[in-house]
Amino acid sequence: MHFLAASIESLGAKLAGWFTVGYDTFAFLTRASLLLLDRTTWNHATFDVVMKQVYFTAVQILHIFLGYSLVISWLIISIILSTARDFGLTAFASEMTIRVLVLELLPFLTALFIALRSGSAINTEVALMQVNNELDALAHCKVPPMQFEFLPRMVGGVISVVLLAGLAGLSALLLAYLSIYGASIAGFEPFTQTMAKIFDFRIVAGLLVKCALFGLAVTLIPITAGLETPKKLFMVPVSVLRGMMRVFFAIVAIEVVSLALKYI
Amino acid sequence: MTAVAALSDDVARVALELPLRANLSALDNIALIPLYQRHYGVSESTRQAGAILDQLGHPEIAPLRDPDMTPAQRFVAKLARALILKRPRLVIDRPGAMLYDVPYPEFIQQLAAQDAMSGIWEIFDFSWNRDLYNQALHSE
Repeated sequence: MHFLAASIESLGAKLAGWFTVGYDTFAFLTRASLLLLDRTTWNHATFDVVMKQVYFTAVQILHIFLGYSLVISWLIISIILSTARDFGLTAFASEMTIRVLVLELLPFLTALFIALRSGSAINTEVALMQVNNELDALAHCKVPPMQFEFLPRMVGGVISVVLLAGLAGLSALLLAYLSIYGASIAGFEPFTQTMAKIFDFRIVAGLLVKCALFGLAVTLIPITAGLETPKKLFMVPVSVLRGMMRVFFAIVAIEVVSLALKYI
Repeated sequence: MTAVAALSDDVARVALELPLRANLSALDNIALIPLYQRHYGVSESTRQAGAILDQLGHPEIAPLRDPDMTPAQRFVAKLARALILKRPRLVIDRPGAMLYDVPYPEFIQQLAAQDAMSGIWEIFDFSWNRDLYNQALHSE
């Protein structure tokens, strides 16, 4: 009986904890969204931080990211093509490639890549700022941390993920064409027809929204996790661990919901 | 200490628990204030920040980030940040906690004696350090 009560109590505490985290994250997002629309938020310094964030998140790693996405794309395209040939479904190879790679796998891998590289860095930086009182110092100087530190990172993160996923998708399309039809332009018409069939407004809008949500997840969650850090230096790794776990679950949840909306 | 921390918004504080942004240079830390509060452009804000460091006699710290500064340089950067806030009162909170590498009453006195410095700087310190200030005043 005592064990049952303790288990229920523990489960209740966990649920309450998750609810609090979820509530705090959405409250933060609401505040950020309102400030995003506020004209006074946008000044030289804010734009500067957005540019820096896009540079560090997307531009600085562009060559590595492109190499990584091309290798993955080439492998997946090869698997799809060989399987399609085995089953006599070559006519569907290009459609399959676009649906699997461009719409699902590449945005998902882009989000994971950015989460591991930039999300973890943002989480650590915000946690250290919290522990070292840097946020209090900014508040004392009436430099609002939301406008100066957090909002530009979120905007930069969303822009970076959308751009990188778009770039990876375009390079995968090119690679798919070359793998299926070779360097000839003979396949241009059927390939573009397949693309036009798949990329209707709903799919393109859904892809953009999904990438934007990925971008938000890899920046918003690390920021809120960093802000939750108690003012103790040894809690910084714990904060990053928690933040990155939440980012992973959020990315998976966004992908699952997107798949369910499209195919169920 | 609690009383100092609870000072109103018209006070600019220089304190150990109000650090500089670690990933920004001293100049950028100071330039943030005109950039955000007065909406100046980047170049004008940087010019104003540089001018304050010049007035304090420490222009060499402009490109340094917090971890690369000595305690005295860090103090100067914090002081410059407090000065550029242009608040009616400036409070230096327990300078001994920040200036442990220099004889600090003399050091603060030298900074305050720079030509362009004006206003009153209030120092909050432990009572047992009173002799240090007396010595500095008598050595003038």
